[in-house]
Amino acid sequence: MIRSLGVVLCAFQMATPAHAVRVISGISHDTVEVTSSFDGERLTFFGTIAPDVGSSDQVEGPFHVVIVVLGPTQVRVAREKTSNFGIWLNTDQVEFPGFPSYFHVLSSKRLLEVTDIITLSANFILPESHATAPNPAGLTKTLDFGRELIGLMTEEGLFGVQETALQFMSDTFYSAQLTLPGNAPPGAYIAQTYVFRHGAIVARKPDDFAIRKIGFERFLALSAIRSPMLYGIACVLLALITGWLGGLPFKR
Amino acid sequence: MSIYLPIAEISVNLFFLVGIGAAVGFLSGLFGVGGGFLLTPLLIFSGVPTAVAVASVTGQVVAASTSGAISHYRRGGVDLHLTLYLVLAGVVGAAGGVAAFDFLRGTGQLDFVISIGFLLLLGSIGVLMLQESVRSLLKHRKGIVVRERMPSQHTWMHRLPWRVRFKKSRLYMSVLPVLSIGVFIGFVGSLLGIGGGFIMVPALVYLLRVPGKIVIGTSLAQVVAMMSATTVMHAVKSQSVDMLLAFCLMVGGTAGAQFGAAAGQHLRGEQLRGLLALIVLAVAIRFGLTLLLPPADLFSMDHLMVDQ
Repeated sequence: MIRSLGVVLCAFQMATPAHAVRVISGISHDTVEVTSSFDGERLTFFGTIAPDVGSSDQVEGPFHVVIVVLGPTQVRVAREKTSNFGIWLNTDQVEFPGFPSYFHVLSSKRLLEVTDIITLSANFILPESHATAPNPAGLTKTLDFGRELIGLMTEEGLFGVQETALQFMSDTFYSAQLTLPGNAPPGAYIAQTYVFRHGAIVARKPDDFAIRKIGFERFLALSAIRSPMLYGIACVLLALITGWLGGLPFKR
Repeated sequence: MSIYLPIAEISVNLFFLVGIGAAVGFLSGLFGVGGGFLLTPLLIFSGVPTAVAVASVTGQVVAASTSGAISHYRRGGVDLHLTLYLVLAGVVGAAGGVAAFDFLRGTGQLDFVISIGFLLLLGSIGVLMLQESVRSLLKHRKGIVVRERMPSQHTWMHRLPWRVRFKKSRLYMSVLPVLSIGVFIGFVGSLLGIGGGFIMVPALVYLLRVPGKIVIGTSLAQVVAMMSATTVMHAVKSQSVDMLLAFCLMVGGTAGAQFGAAAGQHLRGEQLRGLLALIVLAVAIRFGLTLLLPPADLFSMDHLMVDQ
């Protein structure tokens, strides 16, 4: 028991560099509330790089910070149209299960100057790394469709890499702003902060926040899912009453 | 001013929604049709997900047809017996349409089927209506008085088995053509998000020979009942009915419809039908172009469900 603990400790010491650091981070909102006038929200991510607990050393830079903001996952499909006898229709599709509905990267410097591509892909920091999971469609097709899907998500403002969005206020204190678009899907979000030094990850920390419908919007969305029959009947009653009332002032 | 739609999960300009509701409502009041065939495409072209657009317009069609159906009923212009047969068959068709809608959405062919459905349906109805109205306009100009088609002129359809007497329509005919029309309109209506009034009216007039006074009221009553059932089915099956979206459209639509109905009294029937034919053809051509022209982006995306 003691020996195995020793092995673990050794491994831990090998993995952490001599000057251990940690990151203390926060987000301006822990809940983004979706009301009837919701049209996006601006979030601020901030944090400071500090010596690890128990370590008395000063932290030594230069540091680079990368924040990956991930939305709830979905099953996304990318479809390709081809011309068949002059008619354009979807002929091919690839499904991407577990695909993030929102993905933005905020970085203090160009990602490839922060670290190498292997580290980036291994930590799912690049958008492409979310579209390379094994897929029955085959590798080349998955890559092609994945690239197009990421392009479409980027057009919608749901995917993006902002390589200079994160600023250092001092050697160790940073902040970054991110504007969530109005079409950002509600759900649980994770902001994963990575601190790099000389191309290696020296600290990481996840923070979470949520986009939640509140009040009437929440009530409607929940009823639509929980009691669809009642919801449907309520819609019909609303329509009948609106239609009837609408006709009244004009009745001759 | 934008408003967040809780089921579509997008924010849309409120004035735009009420505005297109009112504009389409005006046309529907003018021509006596539900207007779903205009509203669904407009919503799809403006970025509302296809599934939400189709399902929510179903609710709007109920509202748009209610006041018309009530006033026709008061004037005795509804054959309830005939409506009952049409609705029962319509609900069966609508169940099929909702299921097909769900299936097609999964395979990625929903947009294609909707486009081609609108193209064929609106294209053929539009051409027929245009022909008919141009012919009667020319006759009117020459001073020929067009005699209304006589009711109770029986065709082979009326002589099929299972005959029933529809007192109000003064018809004694087989229920088979009635049920087929009901199933067809239920299926197409729920698949395309339209009430189907513009198919129902010609079908009642030319196929079943229902007298003119009864046609519009019966068609409206059928649309109200069948689209109510379809709304509930869409809500249960795909949970894509956005009540807020539907309500914005309803408010604009019911107000617009009244002005449309008032404006319609200054135009002659064949002029109205000619105008409606042109609008129907324009929508058909718009859908035809999306099928024939190379798309701006070969790729498209959709999300099937949220991972739990």
